[in-house]
Amino acid sequence: MGALVIDGVTASIGKIPVLRGVRLRVEPGETVALLGRNGVGKTSTLRAVLGLLKRTGGTATYNGVNLDTVQPHKLAALGIGYVPQGRGMFPLLSVKENLTLGLTRAPAPEVMADIFRRFPRLEERLSQAAGTLSGGEQQMLALARCLVMKPSLIMLDEPTEGIMPKLVSQIRHEIAEIAKRGISVLLVEQNLRTALRLASRVYLMERGTIVHEATPDALRADPASVHRYLGVSL
Amino acid sequence: MTAVAISRAALILTVAALLAVPTVLPLLGSPFWIDVVAEILIWSLLAASVNLLLGYVGLLSFGQALYFGVGMYGAALSVIHWGAGFWGGLAVGVVAAMIMAAIAGSVAVRLTWHYFAIITVVFSLILYFAAMSAKPITGGDDGISFSVPDVVSLGGLKLSLADQSVQYYTILLVVAGFYGLFSIIVRSPLGVRFMAVRENDRRAALVGINVYVTRYVAFVLAGALAGASGALFAFFGRYASASYMFYHVSGEAVVWAIVGGAGSLLGPLFGTGLLIVFREVISTFWEHYLFVVGAITVLVVMFAPRGLAGAWNDALQVLTRSKDAGTSDTTASSGEQDLAKSTTDATRGGSGA
Repeated sequence: MGALVIDGVTASIGKIPVLRGVRLRVEPGETVALLGRNGVGKTSTLRAVLGLLKRTGGTATYNGVNLDTVQPHKLAALGIGYVPQGRGMFPLLSVKENLTLGLTRAPAPEVMADIFRRFPRLEERLSQAAGTLSGGEQQMLALARCLVMKPSLIMLDEPTEGIMPKLVSQIRHEIAEIAKRGISVLLVEQNLRTALRLASRVYLMERGTIVHEATPDALRADPASVHRYLGVSL
Repeated sequence: MTAVAISRAALILTVAALLAVPTVLPLLGSPFWIDVVAEILIWSLLAASVNLLLGYVGLLSFGQALYFGVGMYGAALSVIHWGAGFWGGLAVGVVAAMIMAAIAGSVAVRLTWHYFAIITVVFSLILYFAAMSAKPITGGDDGISFSVPDVVSLGGLKLSLADQSVQYYTILLVVAGFYGLFSIIVRSPLGVRFMAVRENDRRAALVGINVYVTRYVAFVLAGALAGASGALFAFFGRYASASYMFYHVSGEAVVWAIVGGAGSLLGPLFGTGLLIVFREVISTFWEHYLFVVGAITVLVVMFAPRGLAGAWNDALQVLTRSKDAGTSDTTASSGEQDLAKSTTDATRGGSGA
């Protein structure tokens, strides 16, 4: 396992620059949160790392491999998992098909047993179309699909967005469990409470660049920065 | 009765009806219609090739007639020049179409949307004009005729396409075989990858699917279906003609697939059947029957965008839902499971339409 290093990444959508030299690191086994207001470039940062948004400058490396040289379909084999905003399900495919989609051979029974132990509702709905699941169940499926691929780094884009409150704590618990297994997590969040509870380090973004880096404790002790960059009070 | 059970019963009825065609239609005094049904079966394979690309991978091809034509010539030329038998000619037609699709697909599947549609037409037109000008080999617009070899020739047992029933059952057997293969593919992990690419290619790439390879495989397999259709049509008509490589043939196949229901296994068979029967009936009274075909297509796209198969599935869902509403909670929850399952089934043809 290695670190994810994003160094001076710039990117534009059309002629509008959306990332202006983003620098951040996720060490092996670490959970890092990326926070910021709407439209500051959090999702664009993840997309630029994954090659979904063309980088115009800077580098992104994982485990020493320059991600410029890696095609998107090979990222999973490199150990990078991604749960996009809105879950990224294939709604017309069944739960089982969603789980095993990217695998070249059937998953080991113990892997599936572990998934179903964590997400028992998925086992009950294996043959059901993923699009008919609730938002929370879809998020569980998205996490489970990532875990089936045995990633060493998971990038999560607003995993608690649009989830009913009673399921948010379960999703939060599962992310904490993922981190406990030594899987690195890069978490993009709007929910400050979730981010501070899960992350060991937090980056704050504004206008396409990182403007502040702190531990959750340091951030809790600095409500002025929180208010300035996120527009919320602790 | 659940939606899945009703679809299964409809499938069994369809198969029984197709098997009964050579027996029943002569009794009704319409042996001519045996050949029409045979033709529907053949053309439905071309519609199935459009369906594989459009309905399962999300690529709209207006060039499938190219592979139909290559299949046609593969079968005809191998019989004429190499003395191939029926099965050998069929195999040559299918393999030739797959090779052609492998060549064109290596470029075409790098594109999507209208760019893909345009390049498939371009390939089709290039080869159409090439075939038209290579008259000594292809016969151009006039085509080439040949005598069909026996389907089976073992000792004293000879089965010839000259016999209308043998011809019909041979075509039914081959078409059913290709539909069987199609069904296996779309239900396999490869078929699931097709659908994932159709739904969201970027997302599919991020779960480890090589989108280019997946589309390429689908394109070559679609070429095989179109090639089989062309080879069968060559044996059925005892000739091959470059005129069948023109893009209006591809356009017809697209219409059949859309009217039948792209994304369902048997939808295009019913779409092809409906429009060919319509053509046979109406064209005897009115030469501008294509106006009505156009109107049907527009109406289907507007009011049943998932085609006949989609309308069938929707009707079944309404039917089973209203039944479930009248029964106990336990039944209702199993009804939901059926509904969810039939939704999943609908994406790959499921049972029935």
